[in-house]
Amino acid sequence: MLEVSGLHFRYPSSPDDHGAQWQFDFTLAPGECLAIHGASGSGKSTLLNLLAGFLPTNNGSIRWRQQELMPLPPWERPITSVFQEHNLFEHLNVADNIGLGLHPGLKLSGQQKQTITAALGRVGLAGMGKRRPAQLSGGQRQRVALLRAMLRSQPLLLLDEPLTGLDPDARHTLHGLLLEQKRNGVAMILASHDAEDRQILADKVWNL
Amino acid sequence: MQSPLSVYKTHSAPLSHPGWQLAPGLLIAMAIITLTATGVGALLWQAPALNPAELWQSRYLRNVVSFTVWQALLSVLISTLLAIPVARALARQPQFPGRGLLLRLMELSLVMPTIVVVSGLVNVYGRQGWLTELVNDFAPALQWNLYGLNGIVLAHVFFNAPLIARILLQALEAIPQSQKRLASQMGLRGFILWRVLDWPAMKPVLPGLLALVFTLCFTSFAIVMTLGGGPGATTLEVAIYQALRFEFDFGRAALLALVQLSICGGLWWLVMSLGEHTQVLSTRRFSQPPPRRDNRGRARFCDAALILMFAVFLLLPLLAIVARGYPGLATLPMLDPQTPLFQATVKSLAIAVPAGLMAVIATLAIVAAGQFPKVKTVTHSAGYLPLIVPPLVLGTGLFLLFRPSLGTAGHGMLLVALINAMMALPFILQLVRGPLASLDQPSRQQADQLGILGWYRWRWLHWPRLKRPLALALAYGIGLSLGDFGVIALFGSPGAPTLPVLLYQQLGSYQLVAAAATGLWLILLLLIVFSLAHVLTRAARLRSSAQPQKVSAMGIRHA
Repeated sequence: MLEVSGLHFRYPSSPDDHGAQWQFDFTLAPGECLAIHGASGSGKSTLLNLLAGFLPTNNGSIRWRQQELMPLPPWERPITSVFQEHNLFEHLNVADNIGLGLHPGLKLSGQQKQTITAALGRVGLAGMGKRRPAQLSGGQRQRVALLRAMLRSQPLLLLDEPLTGLDPDARHTLHGLLLEQKRNGVAMILASHDAEDRQILADKVWNL
Repeated sequence: MQSPLSVYKTHSAPLSHPGWQLAPGLLIAMAIITLTATGVGALLWQAPALNPAELWQSRYLRNVVSFTVWQALLSVLISTLLAIPVARALARQPQFPGRGLLLRLMELSLVMPTIVVVSGLVNVYGRQGWLTELVNDFAPALQWNLYGLNGIVLAHVFFNAPLIARILLQALEAIPQSQKRLASQMGLRGFILWRVLDWPAMKPVLPGLLALVFTLCFTSFAIVMTLGGGPGATTLEVAIYQALRFEFDFGRAALLALVQLSICGGLWWLVMSLGEHTQVLSTRRFSQPPPRRDNRGRARFCDAALILMFAVFLLLPLLAIVARGYPGLATLPMLDPQTPLFQATVKSLAIAVPAGLMAVIATLAIVAAGQFPKVKTVTHSAGYLPLIVPPLVLGTGLFLLFRPSLGTAGHGMLLVALINAMMALPFILQLVRGPLASLDQPSRQQADQLGILGWYRWRWLHWPRLKRPLALALAYGIGLSLGDFGVIALFGSPGAPTLPVLLYQQLGSYQLVAAAATGLWLILLLLIVFSLAHVLTRAARLRSSAQPQKVSAMGIRHA
């Protein structure tokens, strides 16, 4: 269970301006998906960045299975993020981009390499392991990013507008992959403007 | 696929403690600051008594200071007035034949050995130069003399106009495509195009750029040594050299060094307080701009004429070096270890290669430490410090300090290499900083989350971006040191000269054929160094793009 309580953040402000500030309190069970939506600047990305440890704050608590995550740096939190774009390193090929999720120094065993090849086939990217991200379509890039998140096997998935701008076919494929993750017990927080995404994926919807 | 709820294993990356990234750069920055402070301090300490009143009492010193400022101002003004139209013409004519080669030549102007270029300028504009003889035939009344202010400013324009033009062109090319397209669609041209598009693009880089060029002209040594001289055409740098080498007057040298430091330091403080960036070397590739309304017809002809004239201005001295140097070089037994040229080449490389390597390593460490905002000011200030501290002052101070232990020639060479490396730092920093900063915020966050830290981050994320700029940076470091005729003039022994010192000796003893051959060989050596860097970077590019590049429409399919 993810328990967020009293998580407070305030952007630095000028003396004559009261900077934007938020406080978050919620819980999320394994396999559940919380969808958050709201206008630009309403705090969707701020929440995801706080959970991932990208924005520093000392106020409040983030607990996963009774363990306090606040003091942990991003790489020690049981979390994987997928952004709307810039998920992949452009100079590395698809297989290496995914492999980084398995070992940050790309020291992969033969079995791990086979896992990557098989996983690419499962999401319709068979034979594309050697391609660069620039040679993929938007939907294919997001599938690669999601595949890395899946193979990284973290119990919490943060999705920041991951399907925005994709065509209907690509969205359909990614919906399938995300639903599979839910069935496997992965808890998700999805920031999305799209009502269809929320309808298909979310168990709870939160309007910020 | 693994179970998503398995316990997360953290792979700890080697050298991932922040200290590994911070400490080397911080140490090097502190070493540079200490070395500079010690060098200047040693000079002050050795000076019997500083007499600031000498500055306004001595007519000679007053003349030196005012001439130094005047020639630098004039050089900056003429270089800028030439560079702005050239940069605009090059921006308007992206398809101009030979444009790429001209840009490469302009880039190389920074590392062109001063003493060699001066010999080329003498061959073209000297008393018996090609152009002088031609002009004398048509206008015998024109009394042109290369020596003195004329020659100094001409040489400074030769070196700095290409540098300014190259950086301004880069600024013009960096104008967002959408703005260029809008201007093209609206048919803007002439003054309005200048006001709306060109000037706003150039304005932010001008203060730093002009300060840089002013500093380079203000502290110029080899040009003034060879084309100036005499009380009427002496700069502070040359006066310091004379005070140290011939008069052994440390007090006067220290006083002049302080004047130079305060003028250059004050100027840079002013520029830094404006908060503008200074791009010393190009860091981006040039894109294909949309057609402009002012790049056709008469305007196109004028642009072409201007670019051609500029190319001729740059090429003539180089052609002179080739024409005069080839006969001498062709008959020289190049591989005979007994020839002065061979020995000077070995000595030059023995200084330049370590200097280049040290500069690159120091740059990497400084840039890495600069990723920590708290120390960024210290590390980057240290990196740019050599720009305002005259190498002669630094060299002399260190020489005085280490004199008791400077037993062998090897120690002296190490000191020269060290100072050369420091002098190359500000330029190399520019080459490396951009690519390192190109890792955007989301990618950094992804890397953090995936645990790509320490050695892993360097190996997989930074090295692929840095290997090409680093090869080029090494070439710049070696090139700048190969052409050095400042510090080496102070430390070099006449019996074992480097290539620039050998050239100076040959010019001084009227061995003009041998001097031309040495000059040409130095240029060729520089070309070899840059070609090697180019081959290395191309190999790196080929390796990195060895994956299949073809994307067929059939390959892109959605499930």
